Amino acid sequence: MATATDDVLTKVSTEGATEFVQSFYIALQSNRPSIELYYAAQPTTILFNGNQVADGAAVQEIFTNQMPTAKYEAQSFDCQIINRAYPSTTPNGPKPPSEMTVKDMSILVMVSGHVRYGDGSDLPQRGFSETFVLIPNPTSDKGKRRKEWLIQSQNFRLVV
Amino acid sequence: MKTMKSRRPGGASGGGIRKRGPTRTDRDGDMDMDSSARGGKRGRGDSGRSSRAGGGRSAGGSRSAGGGRPQTRDRTLNAIEQAISENNNRSSAQANVRHGKGGKGNSTQISITGWKNSNASTKRDGGVENLISFCERKLNSAPKGSRFKVTKSRVEGDILVVSVHPEWTERLLQLNGKLFAGVNITVELYDSSTAVLGQQLASSGGTSASTADTKLKITSILGKRFNPAAKLLDLSKLVDDTDLQAMGIFNSTTTQSKFFPAMMKVWEMQFTSSSERREAVESVSLAQNQLANVSVVTTMAQTFADIKNLDLSNNNFKDSQSMIAWRWKFRNLEFLDMTGNEFSAKPDFKATMLKWYPKLQILNNVQVRTAEEIAAQKKTPIPIQAPHFQDDSQIAENFIRTFFAGYDNNRNDLINQFYDENSKFSLNVNVQAPKVQQTETAGWDAYIKKSRNLSKITHLTARMNRISNGPQKIAEMWNSLPQTRHPDMATHPEQFLVECHQVPGLPDPTGQSSTGVGGLIINVHGKFDESVDGKVETRSFDRTFIIGPGNGPGGIRVLNDIMCARAYGGHEAWSPESQPIPQAVAPVPTIAANPAAPLAPAAATALPGFPAGYGAPAPGKTETQVQQEQLVIQISTKSGMTLQYSEMALSGNGWNLDAAWKNFEELKAQGSLPPSAFLNGV
Repeated sequence: MATATDDVLTKVSTEGATEFVQSFYIALQSNRPSIELYYAAQPTTILFNGNQVADGAAVQEIFTNQMPTAKYEAQSFDCQIINRAYPSTTPNGPKPPSEMTVKDMSILVMVSGHVRYGDGSDLPQRGFSETFVLIPNPTSDKGKRRKEWLIQSQNFRLVV
Repeated sequence: MKTMKSRRPGGASGGGIRKRGPTRTDRDGDMDMDSSARGGKRGRGDSGRSSRAGGGRSAGGSRSAGGGRPQTRDRTLNAIEQAISENNNRSSAQANVRHGKGGKGNSTQISITGWKNSNASTKRDGGVENLISFCERKLNSAPKGSRFKVTKSRVEGDILVVSVHPEWTERLLQLNGKLFAGVNITVELYDSSTAVLGQQLASSGGTSASTADTKLKITSILGKRFNPAAKLLDLSKLVDDTDLQAMGIFNSTTTQSKFFPAMMKVWEMQFTSSSERREAVESVSLAQNQLANVSVVTTMAQTFADIKNLDLSNNNFKDSQSMIAWRWKFRNLEFLDMTGNEFSAKPDFKATMLKWYPKLQILNNVQVRTAEEIAAQKKTPIPIQAPHFQDDSQIAENFIRTFFAGYDNNRNDLINQFYDENSKFSLNVNVQAPKVQQTETAGWDAYIKKSRNLSKITHLTARMNRISNGPQKIAEMWNSLPQTRHPDMATHPEQFLVECHQVPGLPDPTGQSSTGVGGLIINVHGKFDESVDGKVETRSFDRTFIIGPGNGPGGIRVLNDIMCARAYGGHEAWSPESQPIPQAVAPVPTIAANPAAPLAPAAATALPGFPAGYGAPAPGKTETQVQQEQLVIQISTKSGMTLQYSEMALSGNGWNLDAAWKNFEELKAQGSLPPSAFLNGV
């Protein structure tokens, strides 16, 4: 953490963001039952076109039951580290600095892309902009489905 | 001959690799090597120019490089395609990305005419060498300054085209009208489309015309056919146009085929900004032009990409194939008249046109799609709501207002105010973003080398280099980006979408709090104008800021600033589908179409410190109670105060929202509200 050099920090943040962007939109597209896994237990703000959604479970519910098929393409994205030592709360209380690693950073991710709702290829492609704040996953459970970073806040907007 | 020597490409370095002029590419993407590699191989005495008088080698210099006279037809095609591709290069992002520094920026083309009958015309090269020497001598007559030499030139019919560094343009143009070997020469800025047309007109027996003359004539013809009030450009019955006949346009198929692209080019040159050009014309008529296909007029789809009405009646279009080049063009076309064409009677006619033109409503004067159906195409499964703006004492609002004015006028000042050692800025360009208008946008040359699009920038070093940390690096970056002009937020609020919400867990600038501090995350979507090659271009952007406590005005600083630039995408996407529901009636809007759907209570829990179902109707709750709870949510959201304090403020002021808010502001200003009054203790 404090000792981590810029190259390590850049590597960890950009690879974390890339991994997130590459899998999250695929989940929205074709693995909707996994959507909830991307979210922190208590996200602060989740917004879709100005509509506020409570949490990951609610997002998953909406995508599973109310949304038509959607084809996303994240054409351009970037990220920055927000806090190199994000104050996580583990089930045992605040995470002590001694247990923190370089991955205990919070990351700002911004995506620009397009989405097509519905199945027809004639349907319009809508441009969107989406911003995420990702925080380190405070749980230590292992497993393939575990995400290293979770969505703390999200703001999706159709912009074209 | 000293002039020849001095003209040797590559200059003093003698190497053939670097040259001053731009690298030209022909339509196959091959580099034009005429003034570098070829020159390098040749003897000193050779000029290394791409052309000699009479050779008439025009645009595709490299085609003739291998020897052998290019066929006339080929040359013509090249010239046309060059005229078109010059448009593309200037405007298409992709082309610019690919061609990199192949832009037009670093050399100016000047045409010299009127020298054909000079005393030097008996020379083997028609006097071209002498003419170039003449120009060089004239410009080098002044004792001081750098020396002028022509390293790149070509002959197109009667025109000698020389490419020079822009710094010489003015002085070279001063040679206009000067006496060269017994004749007065004309020196003017070269315009490929009209120049080529003028040259063709001359050779096809029409009136001999200089570039400026051709351009003037076309401008006059366009002027007669343009109705600015109706935003209509009437290009019908061109064959019957006596002005065009007088120019000799229809004397040969070559001039006929070149005329239209040239006319489009002249039209475009009348405008200084692409938005001005776009707004000037909504309707174009090409009726009664005996068109069997669109190939001759195809450039119109670029020049008038956003027109709503197109009249193609009484032409000779036989089937969809005859219009295939305009498939997917004119994406905003609403009205199309194809009556009097064989194609109209074909069974696939209507379906094809509906498919090609998604906004088409009236086809051959019959309604084929309703406005509602078109609106439905844009319908999104997630309703568009007014912006979510959960500000804290107008911190975000004040910051945003200051920011965009400052970014346009004094970037350094803005950095001094709001950016510190821990601030970060990075930029990414979405070169393929969807856009509202089809008019090509300017290239991204000024941005692309700084773009930190992580899907393209995969090397760690580049990822590290393309982020600016701290005020100095950010200033360097910002000052290298083009000047911008954002719309005024006060007078054009609809052109921005600004959303804001709180974000916890930011690094504490004082280092005291191990649990971090709270701040705001602000998302802005909007547009800005910038000047590209002397034209105003409008682009869209998305920008996210995270601001936290700091030493800037209002006690804040910028921690993170990410900007995405993309082609202009309008602001319709975020205008709410219906009037926003006043907050006092319905609390936080939910995504579900049915307000009673599972999300309503969930939304309430999203407000920290509020019990589930707070503000929502429930069995046993009176109407008044629900309204009061909603007022509490409203004032809490606005003030950042807890439920209890918000309730106190309202009940103490007779549940009058304005009075309660005023009271809150007074108390806050006096400092009489304890930290525990606030949700996040900021």
